[in-house]
Amino acid sequence: MTGLPRLRLPAPIRVALISLAFGVVITLPVLLFVYHQTDSLFEQRIHDRLDDAERSAMAAYSASGPTALAGSIQQILRTGQLRGGVALLVDQRGRKIAGNLSGWPPVLPTPSQWNEFRLYPEGQVRAELFAIRTIALPGGERLLLGTTIDERERMRAALVEALLGALLLAIPLGLFGGWVILKIAERRARAIGNVAARIAGGDFSHRLEEETGAEEFAMLAAAINAMLERIEELVEQLRLVTDSLAHDLRSPLTRMRANIERAASTDRERQQQAMEAVSLDIDRMLRLISATLEISSTEAGVGKQHFEDFDLAALLRDICEIYNPLAEDGGMQMTIEAPANLDYTGNRQSIGRAVANLADNAVKYGGGEITLGAADRGEFIELWVADRGPGIAPDLHERALGKYRRLEESRTTEGSGLGLALARAVARLHGGDIELQDNAPGLRVVLRLRRDAANLSPL
Amino acid sequence: MTKKILVVEDDATTADYIARGFEQNGYVVDVAGDGRDGLFHATDGHYAAIVLDRMLPGMDGLSVLGAVRAAGIDTPVIVLSALGSTDERVRGLKSGSDDYLGKPFAFSELLARVEALQRRGPTGTQPVVTSLRCGDLSMDLLARRVERAGVRIDLQPREFRLLELLLRNKGQVVTRTMMLEEVWDYHFDPGTNVIDVHISRLRKKIDEGDRLPLLHTVRGVGYMLSETA
Repeated sequence: MTGLPRLRLPAPIRVALISLAFGVVITLPVLLFVYHQTDSLFEQRIHDRLDDAERSAMAAYSASGPTALAGSIQQILRTGQLRGGVALLVDQRGRKIAGNLSGWPPVLPTPSQWNEFRLYPEGQVRAELFAIRTIALPGGERLLLGTTIDERERMRAALVEALLGALLLAIPLGLFGGWVILKIAERRARAIGNVAARIAGGDFSHRLEEETGAEEFAMLAAAINAMLERIEELVEQLRLVTDSLAHDLRSPLTRMRANIERAASTDRERQQQAMEAVSLDIDRMLRLISATLEISSTEAGVGKQHFEDFDLAALLRDICEIYNPLAEDGGMQMTIEAPANLDYTGNRQSIGRAVANLADNAVKYGGGEITLGAADRGEFIELWVADRGPGIAPDLHERALGKYRRLEESRTTEGSGLGLALARAVARLHGGDIELQDNAPGLRVVLRLRRDAANLSPL
Repeated sequence: MTKKILVVEDDATTADYIARGFEQNGYVVDVAGDGRDGLFHATDGHYAAIVLDRMLPGMDGLSVLGAVRAAGIDTPVIVLSALGSTDERVRGLKSGSDDYLGKPFAFSELLARVEALQRRGPTGTQPVVTSLRCGDLSMDLLARRVERAGVRIDLQPREFRLLELLLRNKGQVVTRTMMLEEVWDYHFDPGTNVIDVHISRLRKKIDEGDRLPLLHTVRGVGYMLSETA
């Protein structure tokens, strides 16, 4: 609920201002340091000059008293030892003995080391700034020595000028730096933006270039590409599901339509038959839909929260017990090839369902001797269902795993064709995958489950 | 005494479908359209069973279930849900429901489950049964013996449990899904013929020869053990 809307500057200006602020923050202390160093150096030289003048004056005084000192003062002034300085020697009563000042400045204490005073030396019209030292002499006389510090003032002005100049220079440099950074970032952002736009346009095959450029951008590009990979996979799956669902729902719906028309006839017997056929088709469609949902939620990682400890070998025995009678009725035999006990932590229900689907497929499409197997392979546990039927040609293996991709040849057989897709989703839920192998002859479907699937983070 | 069923379901069409189904089977049905109303009815009336939708406006189905159980009401509850996955099922059962059925469902499946629940009674209160009968078929649960007209029948352990399930639900339909759940503890739809094969083997053993058939197929629903066809 702020009264005023916050001022939002355009991005280029913001970046330039930030870069500028950085420039100033770095330059200013450097300049101040230079200023301070130079200034104290100058002050030291002025001190030295006053010291020299004082020493020679004192030497003259101690040698032969005020008269000699007066002569020394004249000489100091003449030789310019004080660089256009001032000097004044007064007696005990303050009367001038020698020097180029008309009188003792009234507020000046004696003795004193350092006073900055504006004075008019005799014969000059302009007041100048002097650094002044006063000395009380043993005979009661007072001595004043001064040297001009205009020099220092000029130097200070020059430094301030240089400082301002540097700051002024920092503005265009800062702006330029900001512009360069912005351009680099903009180019990267545009590259990402272009790929995003293409993807928004429906072309999921696009990827960012990963090798070039700074480490951070390369990492970002790799992360985005990995995300795109996953999205493409999911979209592709979704497309397949929609296509196949439409295809697989169309035939029962068509049959239902025909049956409902038949049910409109007057013959009770035929009505009854038609309604039963409709009911059967509805069941088939429901099974299809719930299997699809089950696969989708398994692929999304749902089911991780229901991991439990159980015996995989016992699970195989259960499934064998459930499906063996069916196999025997079809003239086949189902056997188990597993250790007596194989403890595992995972989703028992979904693994059970996956193996059941594979066993069901083996009975329907396979044939001969059917084997349900399990083995501990260290990092992974392998479960397999093998048959001696016609098998699937190796080049069709990948297709067979797709959701809904029942192979065309077997379309006539009853079943949703989702068994392998569900088994794959379940294997992935447990950090593994599925593989179709040639059982020479026949098909061997291997499910690999990670031993430590329970500790894996979702996806 | 007529049995009362409470149906808590916000979708009027579904509620009507369920209510009509139970009424045709001799039940009196109360329908509640939301969770609050459902909870009010559940704590008030004496119901044989409660059919509770998982997703309700106002108060979530599982919260209603929690409140009902917290109020000390042990009426059997079956939860209906469009979230039909096995994991949802586990959650429903953990929250105190007695059974769980994914939508959409066939009414016959719901009826079979509700009747099975009533016979089972509240958890922990079942009387200890040591023998079951149907006509001249008898099962001794302690000796694990099955006899038909005094002649011993040899059954595999799972066949024994399948028959036990049918005997406990004598005169009622048991669906294929119920069999897979009760006998093998797997919660998936086994399709039609897998269970059928097991049943036909069991049938061969108990209805062998020219005996009166006890094990009947209820078309489109499941199987029933009964002395009358």
